[in-house]
Amino acid sequence: MLILDWLLAPLQYSFMLRGLMAAVLAGILCAMVGTYVVLRGMAFFGDALAHTILPGVAAGYLLGGGAREPLFWWALGTSVAASLGIGAITRRGRIREDTAIGIVFAGMFALGIALISTVRSYAVDLSHFLFGNVLGVSWQSLGRMAIFGLGVLLVLGLFYKEFLVISFDPVLAQTLRLPVTALNNLMLILIAVTVAVAMQTVGVALMVAMLVTPAATASLLTRRLLSMMMLAAALAAISGIIGLYVSYYLGIASGAAIVLTATLFFLLAFLFAPRDGLLWKRPRA
Amino acid sequence: MKNTRLFSLLLILVTMLLAACTGGKPSANEKLHVLATTSMVADVVRQVGGEYVQVTTLLPLGTDPHTFEPRPQDVAAIEDAQIVFANGAGLEEFLEPLLKSAGAMDKLVEVSQGIELLPLEGIEHSHEHEEEEHSHEGEEHSHEGGMHHHQGGDPHTWMDPNNVLIWVENIATALAKADPRHAKVYRAHAEAYANELRALDAWIREQVAQVPPENRVLVADHAVFGYFAEEYGFRQLGTITHSFSTGASPSAQELAALEDQIRTYGVKAIFVGADVNQNLAKQIAADTGVRIVQLYHGSLTDAQGPAPTYLDFMRYNVTAIVEALK
Repeated sequence: MLILDWLLAPLQYSFMLRGLMAAVLAGILCAMVGTYVVLRGMAFFGDALAHTILPGVAAGYLLGGGAREPLFWWALGTSVAASLGIGAITRRGRIREDTAIGIVFAGMFALGIALISTVRSYAVDLSHFLFGNVLGVSWQSLGRMAIFGLGVLLVLGLFYKEFLVISFDPVLAQTLRLPVTALNNLMLILIAVTVAVAMQTVGVALMVAMLVTPAATASLLTRRLLSMMMLAAALAAISGIIGLYVSYYLGIASGAAIVLTATLFFLLAFLFAPRDGLLWKRPRA
Repeated sequence: MKNTRLFSLLLILVTMLLAACTGGKPSANEKLHVLATTSMVADVVRQVGGEYVQVTTLLPLGTDPHTFEPRPQDVAAIEDAQIVFANGAGLEEFLEPLLKSAGAMDKLVEVSQGIELLPLEGIEHSHEHEEEEHSHEGEEHSHEGGMHHHQGGDPHTWMDPNNVLIWVENIATALAKADPRHAKVYRAHAEAYANELRALDAWIREQVAQVPPENRVLVADHAVFGYFAEEYGFRQLGTITHSFSTGASPSAQELAALEDQIRTYGVKAIFVGADVNQNLAKQIAADTGVRIVQLYHGSLTDAQGPAPTYLDFMRYNVTAIVEALK
């Protein structure tokens, strides 16, 4: 029973229980969406989006007379708008996606600072109000993430084939006359919603890591999209659980512990992956 | 997804198991376990509580509440505490989700409760106060002494020992209520400490008298000196960030205005918190030829530092201010 005690002890705190659920939920959601993020090579999209919400939050704060509740929606809206903006800039073909991300991120962030500099108060750190923490998750935000997460995963499932084609074979997508632009925008919206919701529940650092690391790990282990998504989700969930326990027993900040666990999984896959592991691919002497 | 389903099943099982086995807490413990958010609050609680109170401090020394990353132990400490003492007046806003998550809101005591807060003023316009005051409508107001009553005020109440007298009163009341057996002891400690605070107040007045009235101008990195200035006849001139928070950045216009003010008033020194980024302040000081003086703002130091207790903290700061301005 010793192991059971060891496993149960942290759960006598309800915040640990909520934290575990949040880490697992956010992990699964981010990892599945993140599979596309990784495949399309836009790893910094999440981090950038998390900071582009600043002007929306500032505008919401100023217009709403400082009410805190609507800020979630402002953040969500700004995140979606910024992602579509990035998509629109990229589509012209002259500007690469990572450059577009850089431009939109910097511009939006500056706009937020400019808006806020007209108000002198704690509003300065407004966007930080929205950055969640695994240990400070409320039932409400957990529920919100469950609802949005379900919605995102549902759409992801419905358009699985289409997304598969536009991600792996743009030429085929053209031939099939798929509405590539619309599908691309839909994908960007899904990522934006995931980012906005996860960031407000578990914080930016953890969200970014869950978006990228488990999917990258999975991509080393399998080639098929569906198994990649499942594997990424499982890795993220397991990292969340292990990370929180490590954090509890070693007294490390929880977000960091989870990210490090996910990183460890990546390193293991990087070294020992059946096909591509570094160990099996020694350069011939 | 299989993993998840298995996990959620496990979770439900575990929850039910837990509900069954976490009934009795060891409450017969001799000491009252309380938690204080900042080192400042913790010190005053220790003074009042003495040997009957075990105080845990949430924020490590020198930590900015904005950037605090908690460990599970920290949140567990909140949950386990019988009383949670916070400065209040909006200082702990960033910790709110954490405090809520740990169920601290019912046992929260804001030591600044009852202090007449200075408006967030001098720097801004009246309509912005309204915004601040309204900023928490729609959140729960149910818990008494909650965090939403006085968001409109300057939270740096500890800069005037007379305010800390009110802290002491609030702390003694809360401790006596939670542990009536030792109520008398707490009252006695509170009285003794209040005398020390009054002595500190008298000492500060003596010190300040050495500063010629025209020199009693304070320029700081952010607006921490409101209460001190009000009580001891200083003017708090512009602040570098033009804000009550450490995270702001100023506009070019504001910096120019500040440098002009520094020149017109013949300001002798800029006072900067030991734990904030001092680059801007250094630049302004270099441009205007004034000194930079380091003070302690929001956190005490460890036992080896110059400000391990609140009394030391105030003495250190006042000495530095008087030295710089006289």
